[in-house]
Amino acid sequence: MKTTKKNKRLYKKGDGFAAFLFLSPTLVVFVTFILFPVFFSFYLSFHQWNMFSNEATFVGLDNYLKMFQSEEFWQVLKNTAVYTLGTVPLNMAFSLLLAYALQRKLAGKKFLRTAFFAPVIISPVAAALIWRWLYDPNYGIINYAIGIFGIESVNWLNEPTSAMFALIVMGVWKTFGINMVLFSAGLQGIPDTYYEAAEIDGAGRWSKFWNITIPMLGPTIFFILVMSMITSFQVFDIVYVLTSGGPLGSTKVLVFYVYEYAFKFFEMGYASAVAYVLFAILLILTLLQVRFMKNRIHTAT
Amino acid sequence: MVKKITIFSLLILTAFILFTQCGKEEKSTDGKVQIIFWHSFVSSTIPALNDLIAEFEKSHPQITVKAQYIPTGEALIQKLITAIQSQTAPDISWLHSDYMEDLVDADAIYQMDHFIKGENGISQEDLDDIYPSLIQYASWKGTLYSLPMEATNLALLYNKDMFRAAGLDPEHPPATWDELKTFSEKLTFDKNNDGKYEQVGLFLPIFPAAGPQSGWMVWQWYPYLWQAGGSVINDEQTEVLYNSEAGIDALSLWKDIYTNLNLRNFTTDFDVAFASKHLAMAMDGPWNLPRYKDLLKDIDWGFAPLPKGTDKKATIVGGEYLAIFKQSKYPDESWEFIKWMIKPETQAMWAMKSGYLPIRHAVRDVPEFEAYLEENPNFKTFVDQMDYGIAQKPIDYGGLEVARHLAEALEKATVGNMDVKQALDESAAKSNKVLQEEKNKQR
Repeated sequence: MKTTKKNKRLYKKGDGFAAFLFLSPTLVVFVTFILFPVFFSFYLSFHQWNMFSNEATFVGLDNYLKMFQSEEFWQVLKNTAVYTLGTVPLNMAFSLLLAYALQRKLAGKKFLRTAFFAPVIISPVAAALIWRWLYDPNYGIINYAIGIFGIESVNWLNEPTSAMFALIVMGVWKTFGINMVLFSAGLQGIPDTYYEAAEIDGAGRWSKFWNITIPMLGPTIFFILVMSMITSFQVFDIVYVLTSGGPLGSTKVLVFYVYEYAFKFFEMGYASAVAYVLFAILLILTLLQVRFMKNRIHTAT
Repeated sequence: MVKKITIFSLLILTAFILFTQCGKEEKSTDGKVQIIFWHSFVSSTIPALNDLIAEFEKSHPQITVKAQYIPTGEALIQKLITAIQSQTAPDISWLHSDYMEDLVDADAIYQMDHFIKGENGISQEDLDDIYPSLIQYASWKGTLYSLPMEATNLALLYNKDMFRAAGLDPEHPPATWDELKTFSEKLTFDKNNDGKYEQVGLFLPIFPAAGPQSGWMVWQWYPYLWQAGGSVINDEQTEVLYNSEAGIDALSLWKDIYTNLNLRNFTTDFDVAFASKHLAMAMDGPWNLPRYKDLLKDIDWGFAPLPKGTDKKATIVGGEYLAIFKQSKYPDESWEFIKWMIKPETQAMWAMKSGYLPIRHAVRDVPEFEAYLEENPNFKTFVDQMDYGIAQKPIDYGGLEVARHLAEALEKATVGNMDVKQALDESAAKSNKVLQEEKNKQR
């Protein structure tokens, strides 16, 4: 009893109000720019609104019905899924490998880490413009490089088959740095004693990696998996600059589709409905992963 | 601690002041009225625009015009939306007919008759003197909601040196579709046989249908549709007609050239390619004339009318249109600016300065203008084309989506190598569905 009384005295009367005051600037921004749009967009997804007029017409589930009947929507969804399935595993494997390699004592380790992280902080538009040049069929360095090995030059961004691949490669390049840092942090959290014990038992490098590093990294891997999936489902800026959704719509992704309906055709209602479907997909994927990984992590540790 | 709090509150205070100052109106001093004008002129036109405004302010000392530049037409409309919703719309703005549907629906802009038939109006003769194609474009459902500030159309930019080198007559630019095709092939070569063309005969604007340049591509294809005798949509606007025989001919021409010249590998901006002598011909508008004087200094270049198609000569006419917003506090002063802008003398001066085309016939009566035409044959090419130029009548509902579906057909037939008829038919089916849905919405 005594302790609780003591704890209570930590908060004086009126403290709640003061705390609220301190929070209020953030709160105002949060409510106007995040909370309100979230609910307003949900409201709009059942309406038809062109943004110019002051009233939105209620259309019930029409926007959702139109979406599910639209061939283009399914195509766009498929493109987004392909992009995600392409970037997430590549990204994770690559960043884990680099983080692992940079764990060891290495000359220029700090420089390498910074260099690998650089793409993350480069503006996406500038980066995409650079990659446009790299992929250029006439002057691009990538075609030059593969030309040395006698491979014929590819028009990377103008062929439906290669454009998505080109986009995935750039997407991985742009984001692996952040995951590498997260993996590095995770790796540093594994106590050396485990490795020492394994060495005494005669475990090799592979065996240590599979039986200690990977299981111990479980929570990190899980976190990165969820975050990478969310970000790659939301990809937009690099698509807009690199391919503009082309050729033949082969790189048009969900957020691009939302943008097109919202700010080109001014069909805010329809765009909101698509955005909510995107939200639902991400929610379901995340919940599935939480369920699946919970068991795995528990049994592993 | 106290220090921290002081700094913190000072920061909040400044942020607050900045916030409130943003939307504050500039008050007029000494009875002067300021009107705000939004536009997206290319940056090379801005000096001419400043001269124009200075000229207006000289003859109208009680009015000042503040021109505000918004980088692209698309950004302009997005900014207009927020401005209208927050009651901060400009007095006058550039307007694209594609967006008129929504602006009229929101009751955001005045009908022009409100001013034309008002006390300070203009005569019917004046109005009839403006090219009818422009009036059509400035209207929505037969009602005039804006007036043109200047006209544009498309002509063929070509490099005379390259014509000479290829054994072609530099004073005989392609006059027919056949010539366009054969000339463009003659002007394309790969001298060192590395599978890449060092020089390309003609650039065609094929862009991703979903991308920002999709409307631009469609706009440049329309003249070919008309040259073949086709039209975009029926008069009742219930059905698109671009998948007719004429449409198939026009798109087949583009597809042939696109494939023969391997334009798939053409990735440079056309003006850069032209200036660096890698490109012989391209479609282009008069707005680039002032820029080309410097940029193309060491090239012998010229503009030719677009070639004649299977049916007739045609080019597309466009322009920038000025509308007055209902939120404006000074609609009459805004109208004064537009009224002054469409005067033959102003139009002549503006055309000579900016490279844009005049909007009316009477400009030809201004002596300086005739003299200017004699000295500038390239500019004259454009002005002469106005006589048979066509403006695409705005599609009342769903025009943007129809244009998008047409863009898909153009991309599929060229980049996707799909059968031309199939590409156009599939696209037309989608467009017709849009028209039908829009019609149902209106009821």
